[in-house]
Amino acid sequence: MKDLKHLIYFEDLLQDAQNELVNKAKAQGRYALGYNCYYVPEVLLNLPGCFSSRLRAPRCTSTDIAGYYMTNRTCPYARSILERAIEGGFNYLDALFGAESCATMDRMEQHFFLINPVKNDRFFVTQIDPPMKGDKTNLDYYKVQLRVKVLEPLQEHFGLDVSDAAIRKAVEEHNRLCRVITEIGNFRRLANPPITGYEFHVIQLVSQVCPHDLILPYLEETLEELKTREPEPKFPFRARVALVGSEIDDPEFTKLIESCGAMVVADRYCFGSFPGREEIEIFPGETAFDAVCRHYLHWNQCARFMDGLKIDQRHSEVKRLVDSFHADGIVYENMKFCEFWSYEKVLASNIFINELGIPTCTIEKEYALGAVGQLRTRFQAFIESLEIKNIQGGK
Amino acid sequence: MKKVLLVCLKLLKKLTLIALITFVLTFTLYITNGENKLIYYVVRPLLNKHYDSQVRDRKI
Amino acid sequence: MSMIDKLIAPIDKTLERFDPKWQAEHGVGGLRSRYYDKTGVAKWREWRGVKDTMVDYGAWMKNLVSMALMVGSAPIPVMKGFWEYRWMGSFLGTFMFIDRLFEGYRGKELVIAHANMHAIVQSLTKRIAFVLKNDRRLGGSVEGSEKIIPHDETITPLFLKGFKELTPFPLQTLPEFIICDVDQHIEPYYIDVAEAYGLPADVCSRCAAETGVAIDDAFPLIGKAMLSTNMPCNASEATSMFQRRRIGMPDFPVTLAMQHNEKEALPYSRQTLKDAIAFVEQEYGVKYDWNEFFKYAKLINEQNTIELEKWDFFKTPYSALTGIAETLYRLYSWQSVNGQDPYFNKVDRKVIKIMRKAYEQKYQAFGGKTRHRAFLWGPSAVYYTDFPTWTQNCWGINIVLNMDSTMGFNMIDTEDPEKAMDDLTRFTEKACMRHHAVGGWDNVNAVWDWAREFNCDMVLMNDNIACKGMLGVHALMEEQARDLGFHFIFVEHDLEDSRTVSRQDMRNCVNKYMDVVLGEKPLDPTLVEFDDSDAY
Repeated sequence: MKDLKHLIYFEDLLQDAQNELVNKAKAQGRYALGYNCYYVPEVLLNLPGCFSSRLRAPRCTSTDIAGYYMTNRTCPYARSILERAIEGGFNYLDALFGAESCATMDRMEQHFFLINPVKNDRFFVTQIDPPMKGDKTNLDYYKVQLRVKVLEPLQEHFGLDVSDAAIRKAVEEHNRLCRVITEIGNFRRLANPPITGYEFHVIQLVSQVCPHDLILPYLEETLEELKTREPEPKFPFRARVALVGSEIDDPEFTKLIESCGAMVVADRYCFGSFPGREEIEIFPGETAFDAVCRHYLHWNQCARFMDGLKIDQRHSEVKRLVDSFHADGIVYENMKFCEFWSYEKVLASNIFINELGIPTCTIEKEYALGAVGQLRTRFQAFIESLEIKNIQGGK
Repeated sequence: MKKVLLVCLKLLKKLTLIALITFVLTFTLYITNGENKLIYYVVRPLLNKHYDSQVRDRKI
Repeated sequence: MSMIDKLIAPIDKTLERFDPKWQAEHGVGGLRSRYYDKTGVAKWREWRGVKDTMVDYGAWMKNLVSMALMVGSAPIPVMKGFWEYRWMGSFLGTFMFIDRLFEGYRGKELVIAHANMHAIVQSLTKRIAFVLKNDRRLGGSVEGSEKIIPHDETITPLFLKGFKELTPFPLQTLPEFIICDVDQHIEPYYIDVAEAYGLPADVCSRCAAETGVAIDDAFPLIGKAMLSTNMPCNASEATSMFQRRRIGMPDFPVTLAMQHNEKEALPYSRQTLKDAIAFVEQEYGVKYDWNEFFKYAKLINEQNTIELEKWDFFKTPYSALTGIAETLYRLYSWQSVNGQDPYFNKVDRKVIKIMRKAYEQKYQAFGGKTRHRAFLWGPSAVYYTDFPTWTQNCWGINIVLNMDSTMGFNMIDTEDPEKAMDDLTRFTEKACMRHHAVGGWDNVNAVWDWAREFNCDMVLMNDNIACKGMLGVHALMEEQARDLGFHFIFVEHDLEDSRTVSRQDMRNCVNKYMDVVLGEKPLDPTLVEFDDSDAY
């Protein structure tokens, strides 16, 4: 296929948290608001006057200092973020909206106010206590948390407009971005898509780490380009897989799977588009804020939800993606030392393989893609098994 | 009255004897750590053999 | 000196050479001399002098009677239990466990330790008989079983006492929570079962073990619906998924606020408890009775009142309740019994009387051999429950209080249901491994205030290698200790898996600090290095 016009530019934007578009927005006097987790609604950090920046630590290969603070037996994503903060990589941030979504994330975010790694006088940290069930009691708590830990601080610290009208406007703009990404992502449903999983991963990531209004024109242009992009004459992959799991913010990982012969057709992981790029619907009579809370609680697929309905939703959602994106199997990932996804991986893979009949390859990975030899072997073997299954007519 | 007293004395003697024998036996068991040796070297190895041979209904 | 003391003094003098503490003092042996290597099996029981040996013997007899009563009350279910459940076999190690816990204890501290321990033994034996009798897997009646509410061990059961017709039962207590204290080899079996299904070895071993118990089908089958929880932390939440699925009953996750100190937490957690009550009402078809609840709230209030008085004694050198005798009792009586058994109130009343007297007499436990007063922080290694006994006997480090002893000590209103609900919520949130290990930096950083308040010069920090929450503050804790001038030792362990970090590895953490940093000599050199890898 012909290269996408902006792909190299997008890849460049992913090389540093403080990228060109972040600098541009900062130069416009807007506040940069960092967050780590889906539990903190991206849309609330994109109110007029500020922009969201989902934290990554690209090219972080060693976490020596963070390892001193948090030991090397904790989640490498959390450690890498702390390391990058200590290196000065997040000095552009005006605030961090954290979530006690897991113990390590909680502790990592605490270091942001205990050792003050972000050199910015305005900088402050809040941490929400996210819900663990999808019921009304938890929805009410979620609303309280987001009001007290996100909206009120934005108003108090930066004087931002957090009215219903402002949130409604932010939702509209957010939905516009979601529509573009979803439309781009939908190309992956085709038998011979004009986009690869890697390219989509890059596109999805830039939409999370750049100010939305500044990245949107590039994304819209890319969408138009894709509409006429000629795919390879023949589907160049041997199988199609859904990539499912926890934190994956390195497109090289998707590239690794694809280099082994399977196209990643669906991305259900933190930083992926499922969830993340569903449009927010505001029901009649509902406030925009309530709609945001309801939406994020409903779509959240985090493994820390422990009520039956949300647990089942985690599995049915993956099944829906496998079916609608015509995936032959699932690559199920969890970050090393992640308690939640370690457990969920065992449970989910058992359900996918034994109850839903979906071939599943489970892997555990570090944050930085280092020794890929073992992973490559696993993927190759898995893809071969999918291929054989396809040849045998799914038997 | 004397007869009742004698019976009572006899009973007391018997009870004291039983208590003494019980004390001697249990104290010997206690101080020699007898029950723990029996459990550690005999009972648990046998039980473990049984547990190891069990077919458990393992599934998620 | 009493008449009896005068009478036994010459016997004690004659037999003193058999006392391991005397041996250690005179360089002719010590507390470890009487063991067969590796096994933890003693060649003979500890000679503590006539009086204390009789106290120990008497306690042994009382516990033996409790066990006989257990078997006598449900002979067939108990036998079936031994046959069915591997964890039941481990309960046979109870006597060895008690011996380990109170090694080197003498005088008043021994009397108190046994009073506390017997409360646990009599409660546990009754519970074992009760649960096995009603275990559907062993042929227990459905009717009996359905009067039990199985709940996660880390939910305090007090609030469930408002259901007059039902008995709350902590599901994991027998197969996991208590038995791992008794036998260091039992949970690795269940951990292996879970890992055989792909669970990584780096998750919390307690929760891995619970998962293994679920997969191995080794939970007693009781109840109609169950209450799981997010308490205390991540892995505990995650293992609930497996238990819910394997046990296959309707389940209500009691998800209390993680950031439990914040004002927004109270209404949420309160509502969650209310939802849990409504769930039980619906599933069991019963009504909540506040008056019934108040009866038990009064019991826990009395226990907590006594507990707070005990703390005043802990702050002095004259506390006769110390080390593991305090820790284990508080853990069991608060977290597991939680106001349900008046026997514990009786024991508390008895113990506080002894403590008052000891204080008046300026009695110093362990013959005044304590060199350091330490606060034990972070979740402790349950496969080495007698660790505080070892620190005292080997190095003279007295564990004054443990993090988990600071669990919910607020009083609960016993008249107004609304006020009671607020109190109950605060109380429930401050549970085992939850109060200080979770919910923000201030909670974990509170150790220094506690240590200062209890006049400690040392903090022993349990370094559970799989506890993500505590690992996340590793360096900050160390820096704080340095700044505030506390002796600070990280004691590395793997909570329930003694294969990863052995008991000797744990001892070495202390040995190195005491030897290299403080340059001190052990009180009992036989305890510095020994192999107890095959011991229960």
